[in-house]
Amino acid sequence: MATDVMPVAPNKAVTSPRPGRRSINVFSGLSHVALVIWAILVIFPIVWTFLASFKTNTELFGDHPLAMPQNFDWSSWGRAWDKAHIGLYMINTVKVVAISTFLTMLFGSMAAYVLARYTFFGNRAIYLLFVSGLSFPVFLALAPLWLTMKNLGLLGTHTGLVLVYVAYSLPFTVFFLTAFFRTLPTSVGEAAMMDGCSHTRTFFQIMLPMAKPGLISITIFNVIGQWNQYLLPIVLLPGDAQDKWLITQGIANISTNAGYEADWAGLFAALSMAIIPVLIVYIIFQRQIQSGLTSGAVK
Amino acid sequence: MRHGKLTPAALRKYGFITSFLAVPVLLYVVFVVWQYIQAFQISFTNSRGISPKFDYVGFDNFTQLFQDDVFWAAVRHHVVLLLAMPLITIAIALFFSFLLNLGGGQRNGRMVGVPGSAFYKIVFFFPQVLAVAIVGVLFQAILRPDKAGVFNSALGAVGIDPVGWLIAPGLALWTIIGVMVWQAVGFYVVLFSAGMATIPKDVFEAASLDGAGRFTLFFKITIPLLWDTLQVGWVYLGIAAFDGFALVQVLSVDRGGPDNATTVLPLEIWRNAFTYSKYGVASAMGVALFFMTLTFAVLTLRVTRRERIEF
Amino acid sequence: MTQTPREITRRQMIQRVGLTALVAGPAVGLLSSCATSSGSDTPSAAPSAAATSATNPFGVKADAPLEVVIFKGGYSDEYATQSHEPLYKKEFPQAQIKHQGIQTISQTLTPRFASGDVPDVVNNSGTDMLDGGALIGAGQLLDLTPLFAAPSIDDPSKTVKDTIVPGTVESGFGGDPAKPYTLNYVYTAYGLWYDAKLFEKNGWTPPKTFDEFKTFAETAKGKGITPYAYAGKNASYYQYWMILISAAKIGGNEILLNIDNLVDNAWNADAVKQAAAAWAEIGKYMDKSYEGLIHTEVQTQQNQGKVALYPSGSWLESEQAKDTPAGFEYAMAPTPSVAASDKLPYEAIRAAAAEGYVVPSKGKNPQGGLEYLRVMLSKEAAKAFTEKTKSLTVVVGATEGMTLSPGLTSVVAAQTAAGQNVVTYSLFETWYKELETELRKQTNALMFGRISADEFCANMQKAADKTKADSSINKQSRSV
Repeated sequence: MATDVMPVAPNKAVTSPRPGRRSINVFSGLSHVALVIWAILVIFPIVWTFLASFKTNTELFGDHPLAMPQNFDWSSWGRAWDKAHIGLYMINTVKVVAISTFLTMLFGSMAAYVLARYTFFGNRAIYLLFVSGLSFPVFLALAPLWLTMKNLGLLGTHTGLVLVYVAYSLPFTVFFLTAFFRTLPTSVGEAAMMDGCSHTRTFFQIMLPMAKPGLISITIFNVIGQWNQYLLPIVLLPGDAQDKWLITQGIANISTNAGYEADWAGLFAALSMAIIPVLIVYIIFQRQIQSGLTSGAVK
Repeated sequence: MRHGKLTPAALRKYGFITSFLAVPVLLYVVFVVWQYIQAFQISFTNSRGISPKFDYVGFDNFTQLFQDDVFWAAVRHHVVLLLAMPLITIAIALFFSFLLNLGGGQRNGRMVGVPGSAFYKIVFFFPQVLAVAIVGVLFQAILRPDKAGVFNSALGAVGIDPVGWLIAPGLALWTIIGVMVWQAVGFYVVLFSAGMATIPKDVFEAASLDGAGRFTLFFKITIPLLWDTLQVGWVYLGIAAFDGFALVQVLSVDRGGPDNATTVLPLEIWRNAFTYSKYGVASAMGVALFFMTLTFAVLTLRVTRRERIEF
Repeated sequence: MTQTPREITRRQMIQRVGLTALVAGPAVGLLSSCATSSGSDTPSAAPSAAATSATNPFGVKADAPLEVVIFKGGYSDEYATQSHEPLYKKEFPQAQIKHQGIQTISQTLTPRFASGDVPDVVNNSGTDMLDGGALIGAGQLLDLTPLFAAPSIDDPSKTVKDTIVPGTVESGFGGDPAKPYTLNYVYTAYGLWYDAKLFEKNGWTPPKTFDEFKTFAETAKGKGITPYAYAGKNASYYQYWMILISAAKIGGNEILLNIDNLVDNAWNADAVKQAAAAWAEIGKYMDKSYEGLIHTEVQTQQNQGKVALYPSGSWLESEQAKDTPAGFEYAMAPTPSVAASDKLPYEAIRAAAAEGYVVPSKGKNPQGGLEYLRVMLSKEAAKAFTEKTKSLTVVVGATEGMTLSPGLTSVVAAQTAAGQNVVTYSLFETWYKELETELRKQTNALMFGRISADEFCANMQKAADKTKADSSINKQSRSV
């Protein structure tokens, strides 16, 4: 719907001074319709999934998949909770993502700061090395990576996964933080150095706080990216480390199981259990996320 | 750098540089670069991935690829995905964020969004907090091709015949792009809204006083001022396009079908590596993908080049 | 049913199922015993080996840990955790058993094979199974000849091979020269499944020819029931089985042999063309949406009386057990005949050992792996499997005293009717995954009307030629 409106060129008629009330109203009307439709597109599948967890297979595969469930039977939730270990996987995921995002930001900003503000031999080579990582598909490295992890004794551990997450998040993080650090005024850092601040103190006490807006934005990108990871955990936390699994693995597992047991309600219950807590957390923190991005507005 | 100039200050500086770069570079080299070098090496072997033994076969894997129809179909689809997904997402997100931030015209001397903006901003973001695996499973039911599919029964209610979202060869890839857009738009609405909030108010006020309409505001002022943010979004979406394969795997007919209509390079790499145990070929595809993406990235950054971000 | 399982397995299965195997059986047996006596195939190099004895024929070290990976699919993995593994543990109480029930066999195990750290038993099955031909080519699998030559647990005077359905050993052949690398454990019959009660109510009988099939399709359609459907999204192989079975019925089992052996123009044989054309006609009665459904979705539709005939194997009843409504009675019919000139009669069905178990050659306890398979092939273990999964195993007489479900009963009846007319297995499915993947694609294209039978054959021949010409693919062959 957006594309219908977008191509309208800013021609004279539209941009004439004081556009008539009517055109404003038509425009607002259309734009409201677009917003409402998109909101429905977003909310509806999620609500439907929730309701589907109470339906029987007959209801799900019947002629009225949009109807309300006949009765709210929570047994599918019990089954899914027992089988899918949603709680455990959720905690694992939060743990891994929290630690690895923190480390990504710490190491990423350290590297980016040095690369952005200091001239030294090899600077550009290291920068390009990081940036070229943006264009390589992660899973091409899966087999060698698996072997490396095994040799380091990190396979099937959260420590290993965190290190890998950090390493694979660095290209994006370094790329944008380098750009961000370059935009910060040089005078402040120089003044600090004059006052006898060490390089390290200058970074942590002066530059990092100044870069906070940019850091927040990139942090949010990294949290979302790592939360979504699917491939790395599957390979690096294999089936024999099931108590270490992450939420995406749990869901994929139930989904495959649904292919063999036809427990659709259980599948939707598990999905709902994975969705609802995240939504609640998001709604609680949405203001912070929005303002974080606002003050950071990645430059 | 030159000898004889290693003053204590210079030593401190290099010590500092080394200490700050050591950990990130080490992590990155061990877990990323070293793995990629091995993958490049494997692309010139007949490795099956299930045995430590292999022979070097030169460019055989690559010549085999270039003769493979499925490979070219995957390349085509990947290019479509890489271009269409970010474009559509950014277009929709820009449109919505414009409405939500500036679409309400002026009130009390400042630009406001349409009524309900706060609500929309919260809701649109929802899909982004769901992991790709969840989105895939969710849409499996939503997009089911028969009457019992959620979308199709909604369409049925207004008298439209069931649509083969994922089974019509001409439509399937676009459906999957649609799902990716569905997931991504909200984030960019919030991101662009953030960008718009940083545009100084007086810019809009001045423009309004000059009699600029909403369209002028959008194309002549908002977009140029958001350019940097747009660029970040574009690059990030380009990376996210890689993840599209997870959706293809869950949603499409026979993983990439019907008739290869939805297959993408990452999926073919996956299939060669894990189904056919042709690690050499899979790695060769990865190398091809690497150069494709690199070209894409360099082109993007050249085209959208700004003085601060250099490549 | 009063018919005892013993009668089924002994009288019927042996004669009928393994007919082709029986012919070649003795020769293969001789070869196998040679191989065993030379001792070159026993994993003697492994440091964990202990002395062999009558009860411990492979010389398993009593305290050596054992790692078992089971495909957690239609059969789940309870049969392993609750029966097979405890039985092994009973023999070797000091042995630690590490169990994994997973679906992503290939993704989980590929890197492990690459590094040499492999489990001791792998149930290689499912959509994400490992390419068997590649494993054999890389020397990653243990030759199971010693297993089949070892004394049976139930009756040490017999070899394991003598206690299982003939043809089982050969169904796990691979490599060149061919050796048994896979134990196919589940005895499976393939055909068209339907609800006997629904057919009874409507006065229908399963169609015996494709002409009847079309008439039946019209009738069922008139009642608002989809006459025939399969799940194109993830189970197009159910459909290609039907096409291959029809091809074998038309032209005999050598059609399948030729396909497996990548014989030139095997796919262009008239029998394959006719079979593809006949099935494509039936495809026209199927709604396009079936291409986008997964197997449990279509099976659920059948349970709801919306689909009349569904192509599947004998695991279907067990897979749907929880969702089959009361009053629904599974039954299996053979695939219809294409023409009067068919080499095999209507009654012929495909019955074969399926569901592969392999012992990696580079595991830490390969003797334990072999012993685990020997335990699986005991009557007690086989009976537990049948109880848990409602599926028959290849172990003869293991179902003694059990009451069979309606579906299994009808399988038995179909076998009786088939007599010696058995359609054999296809091994290219595990030997050449690339060819198999192409067949899935082409099957959907054929059945949903995007290509003709001729194009189907031509495209498949092209794929087979490509496989044949690809030097990186290890070639296999079979003669039985």
